Amino acid sequence: MTSATLKDPEVKTVTTLQPTAAAPGSTLRVAVVEDDLSQAELLSHWLELAGHHCHHYDRGEGLLRALDQESFDVLVLDWNLPDISGVDVLKRIRASQQASLPILFVTARNREDDVVMALRQGADDYMVKPVRRLELIARLEAIARRGKHQNEQPEVLELDVYRVDCQTRTVTREQRPVELTAKDFDLSVLFLRNVGRLLSRGHIRESVWGPNAVVTSRTLDTHVSRIRNKLGLTPENGWRLAAVYRYGYRLEQLDAAIPRTPRSSDL
Amino acid sequence: MRGLIGAGADQATHESALPGLTVSIEKDLEVLVQRFLVRKREDLGSARIALAAGDYETIRRIGHDLKGAGEGFGFPELSAFGAALEGSAIVRNERALGEQLTAVEQFLSRLRVTFR
Repeated sequence: MTSATLKDPEVKTVTTLQPTAAAPGSTLRVAVVEDDLSQAELLSHWLELAGHHCHHYDRGEGLLRALDQESFDVLVLDWNLPDISGVDVLKRIRASQQASLPILFVTARNREDDVVMALRQGADDYMVKPVRRLELIARLEAIARRGKHQNEQPEVLELDVYRVDCQTRTVTREQRPVELTAKDFDLSVLFLRNVGRLLSRGHIRESVWGPNAVVTSRTLDTHVSRIRNKLGLTPENGWRLAAVYRYGYRLEQLDAAIPRTPRSSDL
Repeated sequence: MRGLIGAGADQATHESALPGLTVSIEKDLEVLVQRFLVRKREDLGSARIALAAGDYETIRRIGHDLKGAGEGFGFPELSAFGAALEGSAIVRNERALGEQLTAVEQFLSRLRVTFR
């Protein structure tokens, strides 16, 4: 039996606007903590349509454990979770080494005191379910930008002696071109856009090779080692591209370059 | 008409009395909407059992989830039903919960979803 046989069928159409896909290089790595599987699937679907990569956790403790080895650009956090509350998750993150992780609360709790408490505990934004797709994406991208984890993604990035042109995909160091493979270029851009930030291996893999690529740790280490050498990201140049055991890498700009012994090529 | 989801034959007896409600949703949500409606029908069964057992917390949680997810899938009515269930469960209003569960069941039995 179809609706055509029913009396006075009421027909309505749900129209959803399509979000604009993330610009190249501005893809966000998003963690979603949500125990309602349907809601999680919907949020993940929306995020992926917008060009972002989504990682779902159905428990607060699951996310907190993951943060020991993973980094994200932004966290979407539900309040009512089966194990610990979203507010407790928020407090523990703010007291951890990932304290600056931008956090968007998405919850059905709509009382004013709930909103105020979450914001005062350090949430960057708060949305009451049911949420609208484009608004969710826009707010999420906004807090990621404000968190400086995802800058405006300028076409040209100038940092110390480095100049990166994302349009021509070229890098110069002290005005001399540095020859890089496509992956090494992407890896260089990722680190230079995230100076001082600890990036997990998973985050690096996903950002450079894509969410479905199979990349061994050794391959990743080889690429990191290569750009360290080619770009001269070493303490004598005022930089350190440091490996963090069982986690990933962090590019640091040192306060003062360690004086180096002049080489013949410098004279 | 592709991807039609509707009531089963067991609900056919109600159809002569209740007008149908056809909702047209974008094709990319088809799989997710199908799963969502299956889960929510299961939740309704769980809520009936919980009501008989006086387990208001389970109904509150089911209502809370329905409130949060319904509209996002294209069913604002389900969000409204979820909010009502949550509220009645908090104050342990058994009679209201019984009526509200019946209303959700009737809504789902009327519902036809098409994907375009």
